Amino acid sequence: MDLRLPSKVLEHIFSFVDSNEDRNSVSLVCKSWFETERLTRKRVFVRNCYAVTPAAVARRFPGMRSLTLKGKPHFADYNLVPDGWGGYAWPWIEAMAEKSPSLEELRLKRMVVTDECLEKIAASFKDFKVLVLTSCEGFSTDGLAAIAVACRNLTELELRECIVEDLGGDWLSYFPETLTSLVSLDFSCLDSEVKLSDLERLVSRSPNLKSLKLNRAVSLHALGSLLCLAPQLVELGTGSFSDKLDQEAVSKLAQVFTELKELKSLSGLWDVLPEYIPLLYSVCPGLTSLNLSYATVQMPDLVELLSRCSNLQKLWVMDLIEDKGLEVVASSCKELRELRVFPSGADVDETNVALTEQGLVYVSEACPNLESVLYFCAQFTNAALVTIAKNRPNLKCFRLCVIEPFASDHETHQPLDEGFKAIVESCKDLQRLSVSGLLTDKAFEHIGRHGKKLKMLSIAFAGDSDLMLHHLLSGCESLNKLEIRDCPFGDTALLENAAKLETMRSLWMSSCGVSFGACKLLSEKMPKLNVEVIDEHSPETRPDSSPVEKIYIYRTVAGPRMDMPEFVWTKHKNPEIGVSHLAIE
Amino acid sequence: MEICNSYSSSSVDSTNPSPSEYSVNLSLSLTFPSTSPQRARKQDWPPIKPRLRDTLKGRRRLLQRDYDTCLFVKVYMEGVPIGRKLDLSTFSGYESLLENLSHMFNTSIICGNHRDRKHHVLTYQDTDGDWMMVGDIPWEMFLETVRRLKITKPERC
Repeated sequence: MDLRLPSKVLEHIFSFVDSNEDRNSVSLVCKSWFETERLTRKRVFVRNCYAVTPAAVARRFPGMRSLTLKGKPHFADYNLVPDGWGGYAWPWIEAMAEKSPSLEELRLKRMVVTDECLEKIAASFKDFKVLVLTSCEGFSTDGLAAIAVACRNLTELELRECIVEDLGGDWLSYFPETLTSLVSLDFSCLDSEVKLSDLERLVSRSPNLKSLKLNRAVSLHALGSLLCLAPQLVELGTGSFSDKLDQEAVSKLAQVFTELKELKSLSGLWDVLPEYIPLLYSVCPGLTSLNLSYATVQMPDLVELLSRCSNLQKLWVMDLIEDKGLEVVASSCKELRELRVFPSGADVDETNVALTEQGLVYVSEACPNLESVLYFCAQFTNAALVTIAKNRPNLKCFRLCVIEPFASDHETHQPLDEGFKAIVESCKDLQRLSVSGLLTDKAFEHIGRHGKKLKMLSIAFAGDSDLMLHHLLSGCESLNKLEIRDCPFGDTALLENAAKLETMRSLWMSSCGVSFGACKLLSEKMPKLNVEVIDEHSPETRPDSSPVEKIYIYRTVAGPRMDMPEFVWTKHKNPEIGVSHLAIE
Repeated sequence: MEICNSYSSSSVDSTNPSPSEYSVNLSLSLTFPSTSPQRARKQDWPPIKPRLRDTLKGRRRLLQRDYDTCLFVKVYMEGVPIGRKLDLSTFSGYESLLENLSHMFNTSIICGNHRDRKHHVLTYQDTDGDWMMVGDIPWEMFLETVRRLKITKPERC
């Protein structure tokens, strides 16, 4: 008797399995489950575009409707990955155009996307609906025009912090009059002015528009007329908030804001003048998300604003908020889940000293749901970390950036080892951690031992020796991504723990003491890893003992990649020649 | 364990951090970011995204200049008797200046080395009274020394 469930039944059951983690587990059960699962998977996530080939993905999931890809390593966000390293979207788009023409959604992060890519998308996927590009680069506004003109059923076009060659605002005018399906539009990272009349017409013929994020060039005046046309908005990113308006225009604008009954998320607010802050009061009680990272709102205006945001769950703000402001957040925003405090000065010496560890302590005390923190601060103490750990054992993401490297506890002058120990011991579900300040190897012993659920760890300017890396690689059972810069360990820890690297997605190390010889050895030992040595300033010949600038190691089933630039070395290149000089264009 | 002491990579400066009891292994000459000229140029610390970094730098520049300083200069095109006036403080750099001027005078204008018959060249008079080619010095420095602008015919330079 055949005890296997018929595939139709399996299909039906699998239709309830949403998360890709679960689907991955399902596919490992047996061959027939693997087959049924792969034929029914609609949403595919590839978290490292070099871990697998586009052809393999296209072959395995013929029913794919949505593809999400990540390219460059995370430290690319901070200019640590040289231009030309890789992360090209083209091979993926080409493969999908051929094998999965029913693709509807593409979400790319940290990838190089050219105008050709965008034109190919426009030409190949008849029912294309969603394009979300995060931290991508390589395309111009011409590519956007191609998407706008061709994608008849477009629902989402979002450019999040992309670097775009801005050739002007015409691209927006290419959306045809027949396009009425738009749900989300985000062009906040572009510089040029779009034609207001075209934008107004687009908005008025998009009844489903829920999210609109304008760029800085959209004036306050224009915002008023746009909001009149879209009172149903749930997410709004304003343009520049600084035009001088006359009294009548101001009261009109105030009125328009009161009409935004569904608004939950607010961002933009570039150059907002203090006198315009009261315009926002009417939407504050409904807000769950507020992004002030580009708004130079100072105290006490910040307090006026935030004290009205009783339902706020996510707050991104500059350190202009100071400890006083965070005290108000603590008392007013009881639903807060995520807090990010960014530096208001671009350099180390410009840090706002009125924001200290105390601000974060206030929030950790008073906000029971706080689970995600990113905090830039001039200095910190172990006592504060211990308090935060005690208050908030439910933290899932804790990223502390003490801006001054090697800064010790400013009260006791001890390293911050004890503080981070408290964090990892207390926060048992911690998945993401960034450490900073003065840290010895001991700190990493604690993290290795207690960070059982830790998936991603970022380290800069820390540790004393190889022990540091050894603790992490021999502990941290769930470690997935490790990124390290400017730490003094060498070859031993890396080579001793090589096997661990196959259980992780990737390891990034820059300005550490790893030698070229160790990289070669690691490459030999671990064929399932791509060991990339990235060195823009390498000499013609590389002795084995010479330290390398940057290493990026990741597991892959795709083998060596074919698109490496000159300054990336892997064992597949001639080891005698080593890394050749970077070809300057 | 062998520590690589022959750190010949040019991107690392040997500025050492302040010593402490629990000091880091200093033989590797770790760089203190803002004091190293290469690092400062590289802009990779503190770890904030490029867009935020640019916005902050732009803001700082704005705050450093007096809020009320406009930089209105006269602009003449050779062969045209009536000139224009332009507020240089509204431009972010040479590119936006050239673009704007090209629009204003309805011709293509370039600066510096890529001269040919077709394009006009932008020149400026500095505080010494000398006429110079636009584009050789950093933008901020240019703003400090420029007194007036002239768009010259291609052959003149």
